[in-house]
Amino acid sequence: MFIKKYIEQETINRRDLLLASACGLGGVAAAGLLGPGMARAAIQDPTIAWSYRNRTNPYWNEIVSGGEAFVESLGMSKDALVHLINEGSSEKSLADVKALLAKTNGDLALAIDTNDAPNARPVVEACVDAGAYVSTLWNKTDDLHPWDFGDNYVSHMSWSDEGPAEQTARILLEAIGGKGGVVHLGGIASNNPAIERLNGLKNALKDYPDVELLDAQPADWDTQKANQVMSSFLTRYGDEITGVHCANDTIGYGVLEALRAEGISIPIVAYDGNPQAVELVAKGEFLVTVFTNPHWGGGITASLAYHAATGAFRPSEEPHEHREFYGPTIMITPEDALEFKANYLDSVPTYDWTDFWGPSNGQIKYK
Amino acid sequence: MVAVRTTNSPTLPDNPRHGIVLEALVKWAPLLVLLVLIAFFALMEPRFLSIRNFARIGISSSPALMVAIGVTFVILMGSIDLSMEGTVSVSAVLFAFAFLALGGTLASLAWLALPVALIVGAIIGFINGLIHIRLRIPSFMASLAMGFVGTGFALLITGGDRIRIEDELFRSLLTVRWFNFPIMCYVAMALVLVAWFIQSRTKLGRNFYAVGGGEELAHASGLNVGRVRIMGFMLAGAFYAVGALLAVGRIGIAETATGNNFMFVSITSVVVGGTALWGGIGGIWNTVVGVLIVNVINNGMVVIGLPGFIQDGVLGLLVIVAVFLSTDRKSVSFVK
Repeated sequence: MFIKKYIEQETINRRDLLLASACGLGGVAAAGLLGPGMARAAIQDPTIAWSYRNRTNPYWNEIVSGGEAFVESLGMSKDALVHLINEGSSEKSLADVKALLAKTNGDLALAIDTNDAPNARPVVEACVDAGAYVSTLWNKTDDLHPWDFGDNYVSHMSWSDEGPAEQTARILLEAIGGKGGVVHLGGIASNNPAIERLNGLKNALKDYPDVELLDAQPADWDTQKANQVMSSFLTRYGDEITGVHCANDTIGYGVLEALRAEGISIPIVAYDGNPQAVELVAKGEFLVTVFTNPHWGGGITASLAYHAATGAFRPSEEPHEHREFYGPTIMITPEDALEFKANYLDSVPTYDWTDFWGPSNGQIKYK
Repeated sequence: MVAVRTTNSPTLPDNPRHGIVLEALVKWAPLLVLLVLIAFFALMEPRFLSIRNFARIGISSSPALMVAIGVTFVILMGSIDLSMEGTVSVSAVLFAFAFLALGGTLASLAWLALPVALIVGAIIGFINGLIHIRLRIPSFMASLAMGFVGTGFALLITGGDRIRIEDELFRSLLTVRWFNFPIMCYVAMALVLVAWFIQSRTKLGRNFYAVGGGEELAHASGLNVGRVRIMGFMLAGAFYAVGALLAVGRIGIAETATGNNFMFVSITSVVVGGTALWGGIGGIWNTVVGVLIVNVINNGMVVIGLPGFIQDGVLGLLVIVAVFLSTDRKSVSFVK
């Protein structure tokens, strides 16, 4: 665990250094070449690619299945989608993109999560230079905007988790009658969603002076780790814990089992809206989870890049809220869990992949 | 990490009685470390010292203990096995598939899924051993690669999905308690005895020590070292599978991520328990103590309320201290 974290840290630092020196030299030269009007004529039949961490994680699995559904909607087999898997390495992410750009000669519609924010700029610049079209998801720095790159940097979608996490917290705090003690089990401490989801809880707590936040510990998005952290919480706080706020569903599963082992039943709220979590909400074992529709997110990101590439729409003619926007969030409570399950999970809805912004959630705001 | 033992210690202590005391201290150091840790956490937070908390530590230790015991056999031979994460995932996932396909409750034919899981674990271990011995690839690399293959295979067959095992009978591993401890703790203890029997009462167990203590000597005495090594990897694989079963029993989910973190926890536990990475020294009981040390630290740090970001650092420091206290540096001429 350490080793992994340490290596991640190191690679990021090393890359930052390289980036800094590269920007110094290349930035000046590149500035003259870029700018609107650079985009060339539409690409007839671009290669469609999704670049992401890996498929082990159910979340990314959903994202990519959306990408595949989009490709199938074009009448191709889902194998036509090119998968670039970075395994959590930004270097690999960038190197794979450059290799694919060379191979396709820039005839590329790329959907990508660049693994970390600083990596977004070199990826976008490589695509723009090659005349390819790119849409990003989740990671980018605040100073990087699609509208600064004409048509080729098509769009960026992200989610703000603070608001929805605050809503789940309010539902939890109401359920425990506005008094008692809650614990929070978070994601990897340095991850942005982990920080936002804890902040959401803290915001909600301001309105509930009689509820104490007993403890908040990272559970690294991991079921087994969450299970162990929750049992330790039970030792430390015992009956003082009247509710549990989890940063995501996989953490929630571990918490649920730690409580089941002790025969305890207290309200748990989760996040992400994984199918299994939705079932638990329907059974009343989770109080609420938040669905961010990763399937749609994965599909629409690929669709935006593709349709910009084919010239179906010109990104530079779209307003800013169509270039940088928040993804959808849906609260799933016991009352609507079954209906939600029937509509979204048992049968994956057939989305109109040309309705680019319908389900989205407004323009991204920077703090 | 690798060290060379001198066959005849050139630095014999001047006073033989002093030597015996030192030897005993080194032998019992891991247990002392464990007791000191328990005393420390109990002092900081009296609730640490409750039966219910010990049951919680027991639950979190059981799967890791099985995996650590598996790798102990391999480390005793002076090899290393890093395939545990992949093996645990594959065993867990195939167990879950077989279990659900055969009826989904232990009361039906689905109990056959238990031996299936063990056989799967042993087969992966066998392949590990075969690659290591026949292709002459260092065990470190062979097993690490097999671990990745395992994780990939588990992902391939699940497609990234998680499989729920809801059978009340199987979940009684966690939910039913005898004398305050859930059944999985007793299963783990029973397997510790099995492992101890293999280590101390069978020829195979003695051969592990022979290979780890001096491979050339063992070979010269007519021992088929390659065979012993392959057997060691198979045994380790079977124990990883038991760990997988307990991990599934604990959270009721089998998935590719079931194997996560087992590599760090198990290797750390073995080393902290006083089993030497260069082979021939240590054994099952060291590993039991090592697993308990790691889990007491993990549990204790949350119980006394250390902030999350400090916990990893403290765990790392404690590992160094524990290894320092529990290794007999006199018998090692140099460490590289």
